[in-house]
Amino acid sequence: MSKIFIVIPAYNEEKTIAKVIEGLLQENYNNIVIVNDGSADCTSKIVLNYPVYLLTHNINRGQGAALRTGTEFAVKQGADIVIHFDGDGQHQVKEIDDFVEKINQGFDIAIGSRFLSGAKNIPFTKKYLIHKPAILVNWFFSGLKLTDAHNGFRALNRHAAKKIKITQNRMAHNTEIPAEIVKRKLNFTEVPVEVIYTEYGQGFGGGIKIILDLLKQKILN
Amino acid sequence: MNLIQILILIFIAYVIYRLAIKLKKREFSIQVFLLWLIFWIAVGVIVVLPQTTQLVADWLGVGRGVDVVIYISILVLFYIVFRIFARIEKIERDITYLVKDISIDKAEKGKDADPLPSLSSRAKSRDLSDSIE
Repeated sequence: MSKIFIVIPAYNEEKTIAKVIEGLLQENYNNIVIVNDGSADCTSKIVLNYPVYLLTHNINRGQGAALRTGTEFAVKQGADIVIHFDGDGQHQVKEIDDFVEKINQGFDIAIGSRFLSGAKNIPFTKKYLIHKPAILVNWFFSGLKLTDAHNGFRALNRHAAKKIKITQNRMAHNTEIPAEIVKRKLNFTEVPVEVIYTEYGQGFGGGIKIILDLLKQKILN
Repeated sequence: MNLIQILILIFIAYVIYRLAIKLKKREFSIQVFLLWLIFWIAVGVIVVLPQTTQLVADWLGVGRGVDVVIYISILVLFYIVFRIFARIEKIERDITYLVKDISIDKAEKGKDADPLPSLSSRAKSRDLSDSIE
């Protein structure tokens, strides 16, 4: 039986985090790592009521940084499979099995995609103003064409979790991970997922910020 | 001498005074001090005798002396901005690295969670962990 660790970056998620943790515990995922990324609310307090690990960033460093922390911790704890999961309840616990199955089939990394499952829940504007351009940006910077550029639902085997270096602190890690897949020659696949929208997400401004972060990286490295 | 020249000269005098204080406090080395001193003296010369820039302009094939000063200033400024930009990026990464390591060293477990088996061995294996806490 492989040791599965669920890594959840949490920034001000006091409203949703308890429900997410309960959902995971119900399905017997017992290695849950919450990375509290400098939340100003009661996220930590709530998390400590559950049998989970809590890592605390004293200051907010962004989702990419939180994922890196959680992944490194999971590897140190002997994880065979690391799952990246959202703390706002947009991902579905029952779909974790699909990811684990892919890893057990021998893939190094499995990335969730909303577009493989028919993409029924996605608002029209979001699809054409955010997702489609994002796929192109991803492809341009990483050389890997994914059907869904910004999906935080992923599974990594131990090898991939050790190899992939997330240096992008904020949201550009979504592009950095595909780039690392190419660079480290990892074996990847996509998994259809359904996303439950809680709010509008990053929006167009967030997209611009990601592109700037990526350009910065290109210029400086 | 124009008023602007006098004002700039006063400013330069003040900067050199600050440099001397920093040198005295050993905030930077004599080499760095000399570099800045030469730079500011050069600025002073240009302010008092703007014609001198014409020599450089003729040599470089640029029309007016003042243009040379502006071109070089812009280049230097761009370069400095780039350096600062890169520096900030590095600092950001270093901060993230520290925040990550501190959070892993101080990992907590919630109610009824399995104990953290490797916590003590981790602390031993890393010399820094004590000093961080």
